[in-house]
Amino acid sequence: MNAAGTLLGAALALPLAMLLACLSSRLRTKMPALLAIAPVPALAAALLGSGGTLALPQMLLLLRFTLDVPGALLLGVAALLWIAAGIYASAWLQDRPDGGRFVVWWLLTLSGSIGVFIAADLVSFYLVFSMVSLAAYGLIVDDGTPRARRNGLIYVALALLGEAFLLMAFVLLAQGIAGDSLLIRDAVATLPTSPWRASILILLILGFGAKIGLVPFHVWMPLAYRAAPIPAAAVLSGAAVKAGVIGLIRFLPLNVATPGWGEALVVAGLFSAFYGVAIGITQRNPKTVLAYSSVSQMGVIGTVLGMGLAVGDGDAALSVGFYAAHHTLAKGALFLAVGVAQITGARRLWPVVLLPATIVSLGLAGFPLTGGALAKLVVKVPVGDGIVGTFMSLSSAGTTLLMLHFLCRLAVSSAASATSTVPARLALPWLAMALACVVVPWAIYLTVMDGSIADVVARATLWGAFWPCLLGGALAIGLRRVGGRLPRVPDGDIAGVVVAGATRFARAMGVLLERLDEVLRQWPVAGVALVGVAVVLTALMLTGR
Amino acid sequence: MLAIAVPAAGVVLAMALGGRQAERIALAAASAGLCIALAIAANIWQSRTPIAYHLGGWAPPLGIALRADGLSAIMAVTTAVVICAIGLFARQGFSVPEGAQEARAPMVFWTLLMGVWAGLNAVWFGADLFTLYVALELLTFGAVPLVSLDGRAETLAAALRYLLFALLGSAMYLLGVALFYGAYGTLDIALLSGLVRAEPVVWVAVALMTAGLIAKTALFPLHLWLPPAHAGAPAAASALLSALVVKGSFVLIVRIWFDTIPSLLNQAAAQMLAALGAAAIVFGSVLALRQERLKLLIAYSTIAQIGYLFFLFPLASAPLRVASGTTELWTGVAWTGGVLQLVSHAVAKAAMFMAAGLIAEALGHDRIAGLGGIARVLPMTVFAFGLGGMSLMGLPPSGGFVAKAMLLMAAVAEGQWWWSVVILAGGLLAAGYVFRVLTPALAATDAPLTLRTPVSSGRQGVVLALAICALLLGLVPLRPSLLLEVGRHIPTTVIAR
Repeated sequence: MNAAGTLLGAALALPLAMLLACLSSRLRTKMPALLAIAPVPALAAALLGSGGTLALPQMLLLLRFTLDVPGALLLGVAALLWIAAGIYASAWLQDRPDGGRFVVWWLLTLSGSIGVFIAADLVSFYLVFSMVSLAAYGLIVDDGTPRARRNGLIYVALALLGEAFLLMAFVLLAQGIAGDSLLIRDAVATLPTSPWRASILILLILGFGAKIGLVPFHVWMPLAYRAAPIPAAAVLSGAAVKAGVIGLIRFLPLNVATPGWGEALVVAGLFSAFYGVAIGITQRNPKTVLAYSSVSQMGVIGTVLGMGLAVGDGDAALSVGFYAAHHTLAKGALFLAVGVAQITGARRLWPVVLLPATIVSLGLAGFPLTGGALAKLVVKVPVGDGIVGTFMSLSSAGTTLLMLHFLCRLAVSSAASATSTVPARLALPWLAMALACVVVPWAIYLTVMDGSIADVVARATLWGAFWPCLLGGALAIGLRRVGGRLPRVPDGDIAGVVVAGATRFARAMGVLLERLDEVLRQWPVAGVALVGVAVVLTALMLTGR
Repeated sequence: MLAIAVPAAGVVLAMALGGRQAERIALAAASAGLCIALAIAANIWQSRTPIAYHLGGWAPPLGIALRADGLSAIMAVTTAVVICAIGLFARQGFSVPEGAQEARAPMVFWTLLMGVWAGLNAVWFGADLFTLYVALELLTFGAVPLVSLDGRAETLAAALRYLLFALLGSAMYLLGVALFYGAYGTLDIALLSGLVRAEPVVWVAVALMTAGLIAKTALFPLHLWLPPAHAGAPAAASALLSALVVKGSFVLIVRIWFDTIPSLLNQAAAQMLAALGAAAIVFGSVLALRQERLKLLIAYSTIAQIGYLFFLFPLASAPLRVASGTTELWTGVAWTGGVLQLVSHAVAKAAMFMAAGLIAEALGHDRIAGLGGIARVLPMTVFAFGLGGMSLMGLPPSGGFVAKAMLLMAAVAEGQWWWSVVILAGGLLAAGYVFRVLTPALAATDAPLTLRTPVSSGRQGVVLALAICALLLGLVPLRPSLLLEVGRHIPTTVIAR
């Protein structure tokens, strides 16, 4: 263990220590004010702790943590978002008597969210992944309404399903490792030659796909983000969902060409990318629109990873990390913007919310010179100029369309009083995040990614980034014309149908098994069953061997 | 061996001194018993060899032997921990009222608690089939009256149902014992394991004993007695029955299969037991999802969790099929995983039943629909229930997670991947029924709940401590446990023809 390793330890230890402190009800009431401090060591670790390792040998179960470059990128921006959202949440919780409960779920989710970026072995990864996934349930159902509870249940059901897939994948992965090591690195190294390669890959894609909301697992996103309070929606959509992204980065064998699987992931990703836009533009709630934008953006990430997987491009990991880092900042910021807009009077809406939100939104679409343009430039390397590249540009046009739709919905969601002002403690985190959306990607691009300014301002790059935005703008004007005639899709589109079907099936199964239970619990039947078991066992043993 | 003698002496003393003393004697015996169990485990851990004790100095086949291996040690420690917790928990419910000399229910409860405990320890340490039969009977006759402690008609009916079915099981077991004795002239497990040959009398005996014990373990489809019995008993008794008593007969099946006939293990029959286990997981979980009452839900969840135990048979006895010869390692993983499931379910389920008992006491009912907002009033209890539920779901960090992960790993490595599907599905279903309880419990209510009786934080603390034990079991490393390997017959001789 080295100094950087100590920082990693502190990144996990502080939120967990604060969680322990919550056991005391006196300390728990003080905790809401301190939320922003919890992720500070994680930010420090991301800046200074790259390459650090940490093992906890005192425990019977060996947990190992380490920090690589893609992990550090995501850890840093996630910590930044958790800090900003923490400040927002502190102000938002100020007048709530029962803020303690929210704080406990917040800190649990935060610990898991930080942990996934630094977990180095299968067991600790599964542990922190479960933490960030399941603790998020508490944040989603915070307001306690029946609607929130229903949405939370759908979320947690999909999360658990994803985890079952992952557990199976991890168990299969662990088989391949020689010796006692359970390091992710060692496990993935054996994956290309594993006899269960196909099963593992499909389980990984299903498991992490459920987390990042690849269609048809996307249904939880609009439901969960809409139900969650603003600061929670910000961290869930920005930071927590990246648990799935880092999972794909860590577990897919990006160094080895895996044709077939890569293409499958590309197709699934592109479908999500356009599906999210198509459904998103029919939505009216700005939080739901943002959720569908997440579906679309995660589809883009899936596409890039698929391209890397298809040709065995290990550098795709860092490119995807950078793209995801920008999305973390932008999506987190925009959710905060929704919260700020709701309490801002119409007269102040433009300077405080809409202008910065426009810049951030266009960044997501890759408008020239924004952080998003850098992200799109970086992922151009693994994606290439072929047909997939064209689809990626078209998806940028779709994003422009969706984000302009979002801005329209945001503009009409101002507070009732035209002159009401926002408390600084709510507005500042939003404005700081909006600034970070531009500054941080540039800083990372010039240092970590070793990019040059000349590439960014080259005419071809500028035009390549600009025309999708232009096309998207034109489409947006068209959308305003026909907007009223679009079909109304319920948030969570297919969720209603699926849940109704699943409920019917479960009820039928339940009734069936209940009848079976009644039959089996009658004396004559039980007696026959007892003798039957003995007879069958004897017969098996007589004929077996 | 002191481990059996202490609770047994406790029974006699309590009977003799009666009344107010019973509780004190039981608690003193519980703490002494915990120390003894820990000492046995420490001894085996250090020496890496089983301890054998010949009663009166007579060696088998003449005398009676007691034997402690890794499995016995772990079960004895688990038993002691759970019994201590139950004892502390029950102090309030089963104390003699002020002024009275003696009361029926407390007297019976404390005596039976120690009786069941003595029976359990005899099951863990017994080394011949007849001693085990006596232990089994002690266990049954201790457990049955616990069901009907409150004397209501419906619990009496449940107890009678339990008694009758358990007697059927005992009769079948005894029949098997007779067949073994007739064929080989001894009942000592170690001696038998050297004598048994592949012949019909062994198959019939083993099949009869296994079926009888399955009935006592309440494996699907022989579970008819369990839901009414476990749901009707007082919380402390339910915890004892669900956590430990059903495990006694299960361990006996393990003793017969892995210790008595280790060279004759039959894969087809083992697969059938696992298939019944798989059916139990699906069936018990789905029915748990449909229960209206909390205690019935937990009882059906026990049926499901018992199912996992039976994966031990095919997974820990797999013949050497893998060319690399690593099966030995994986059967060890399955063995540890199976026993860990035994232990973690015992701890988690005891905590959950006692939590349900506290909730029922506080509210005056245990309808799941009426739990709204209980978490506000009994936060520690609901937290403990949630932690126990985490272990049942197999979420890390918990004993249930490690147990299921190990069973999964063994199933995949031994080419029996189909069991892994059931293990994972069982986890999802368990999540379903745990959330069914937690969702209303955590919900906010407009009107504050009025409690029928206040619940002491001490009792809540006991339940929480037990649930935290289930959590700490999650720190066991994912490899064969050295302690559990002590005295284990490794079925390496079995190679598929």
